[in-house]
Amino acid sequence: MRVGIVGSGVMAEVHAAGWRSTGAELVGCTSAHLEQAARLAERFGFEVYPSYGELLKAVDIVDICVPTHLHKAMVLQAAGAGKHVICEKPIALSVRDGQEMIEACERAGVRFFVAMVVRFFPQYRLARELVTKGQIGKLGVMRLKRVSYPPQKSDDNWYFDEARSGGMVVDLMIHDFDYARWLGGEVERVFARLSRSADGVGRYAQVILRFKSGPMALIEGGWAYPPGVFRTALDLAGTDGLIEWSSDEHGPVRSFVLHRPGEAASVGLPVAGLAEDPYALELQHAYRCIQTGAPFEVSAQDGLEALRLALAARESIATGKPVSL
Amino acid sequence: MRIGILSFAHLHAEGYQAHLKNMPGVELVGFSHENAEEAKHFAHEYGLKCFPRHQDLLAEGLDGVIVCSENARHLELVELAAQAGCHILCEKPIETDLADALAMQAACEANGVRFMTAFPMRFAPSVQAVRRAIQEGRLGRVLGVNGVNHSEIPRAHRAWFAERELAGGGAAMDHIVHLADLLRWYFDAEITGVYAELDNLFYPGEVDVDTAGLLLVSLSNGVQASIDCSWSRPTWYPRWGHLKMEVVGEGGAVVLDAFAQHLTLYARHGPRPVSWVGFGSDPNRAMLEEFIASIRERRQPSVTWNDGFQALRVALAAYESSKSRSVVAL
Repeated sequence: MRVGIVGSGVMAEVHAAGWRSTGAELVGCTSAHLEQAARLAERFGFEVYPSYGELLKAVDIVDICVPTHLHKAMVLQAAGAGKHVICEKPIALSVRDGQEMIEACERAGVRFFVAMVVRFFPQYRLARELVTKGQIGKLGVMRLKRVSYPPQKSDDNWYFDEARSGGMVVDLMIHDFDYARWLGGEVERVFARLSRSADGVGRYAQVILRFKSGPMALIEGGWAYPPGVFRTALDLAGTDGLIEWSSDEHGPVRSFVLHRPGEAASVGLPVAGLAEDPYALELQHAYRCIQTGAPFEVSAQDGLEALRLALAARESIATGKPVSL
Repeated sequence: MRIGILSFAHLHAEGYQAHLKNMPGVELVGFSHENAEEAKHFAHEYGLKCFPRHQDLLAEGLDGVIVCSENARHLELVELAAQAGCHILCEKPIETDLADALAMQAACEANGVRFMTAFPMRFAPSVQAVRRAIQEGRLGRVLGVNGVNHSEIPRAHRAWFAERELAGGGAAMDHIVHLADLLRWYFDAEITGVYAELDNLFYPGEVDVDTAGLLLVSLSNGVQASIDCSWSRPTWYPRWGHLKMEVVGEGGAVVLDAFAQHLTLYARHGPRPVSWVGFGSDPNRAMLEEFIASIRERRQPSVTWNDGFQALRVALAAYESSKSRSVVAL
């Protein structure tokens, strides 16, 4: 099948590399940033399309890697054109928008995959597998960490604009909201606090989730570290055992190089192992399911429920009170 | 300098006696313990003189005592020690309710003795380095602190830790005070708001106290912090648990793992299949040295009754918050 990418930033580049491992035909991209798009096209040997409409005509699947506030209109347009959709997380900025997008794709009979990539990281998958096999008994307290650095943009940093990105709690922490829900099921109560820098940007948040089935979770998220530092960790404690993992632990290969300032990627991405790139695994899975008609392991509804948790956390931050769901 | 240990109920008494025995200028006179069978065991195990009644030990004419009873019996022993004119180092939490804690202070004041709260982590060089980094402004404005004091359930060592009447609660009563104290000390600020989820998620049906707990607290300087006080390490974890704090600031982050210095031991007949055996200085020793120095120099110890009291307020606020499902203001 033919695939086109919308966007030319960090995620577009990561996805383009991932698509090369799927067997799909990557025909091109479209972007508001022509120079950036031209560089991407040169690297991956595909075309730059002048508009989203033109790209849609040329593909079977569109992969939307643009700022979050643009997701809804693009997904609706793709559904209207009868094209399958891969969409970067977060699905949207409001639950209602996400619902509309899911319904539009259902009505149009196209597949809609929200790229919740953490579900494709091998350590997170294995940890869940061990939990579901009962290796640590009944889940008690989950601790999930995802603390990175502020996204670096030379102009118009849309990440810092909550109206376009949802802010750090929505953009970054949604991964762990989804993962926690994957393990703990539905959430009963959310309490959260957020520290902002003087410019008003949310930089560091701590969220407590209480699940209907009993467990609790502490989710820590941040755009807080110096550029280049991205730390993730999970700690799952149950009645019969414990699973611990941290990105601080030594990997199979450690490199010691001199870093110059400004060398950090513009947006922090967690590093996985050597062989399996989770972004490639994610796209391989989505592509296989679109081809075969099999259900996705992570549904657009899951993406929406994670957004619901992120928005509840934001509400708790705003009101200073726990939010019941 | 004559020192005694009032009750061996708290497992820290075992560590304290070892340090006191080889501290220059200090005579460990002995310990008192009401349970005769246990007393005999400890006396034999550590070669210490045992007094069946606390009054008998206090009648020996001591300069200072260490109160190592069950939490809910601290007031009783502190009053006895104060009346005997002994300076006091008291295990944490200093009591299980605020009225009793206030009564302890009154007893010390009335008898002119000084009271030190046993917060050993303040004496760990790693913890002191974190405080310096914060206070020298090296982290810039602090965005938040992620605090963890995990352990296994301590009932295998001392059953009363998981008994409400004697301990005043479970994991929250056991662990919150350590991190609450460090937060107060790092920032020279008070904790002003507490939200907590507490429950018995790990040993339902086995104990009737909380074993899991997560808190978000706010400090008077605007800093937010999380505290995980859970007894969430399994009894086959390589060590009793750990104390970790991550201070995230606009200018950088500092990550504390206070017990990171360890060897990993795999012993066929060890108490655990894999164990982490710590090395380096023991903060308990530096804490005891400060207690002894404060008596010798006739001055307030660096950790006071108020430090123990403020930390206890936070732990009690956590129980209140968990019950009311709302933020408790202090």
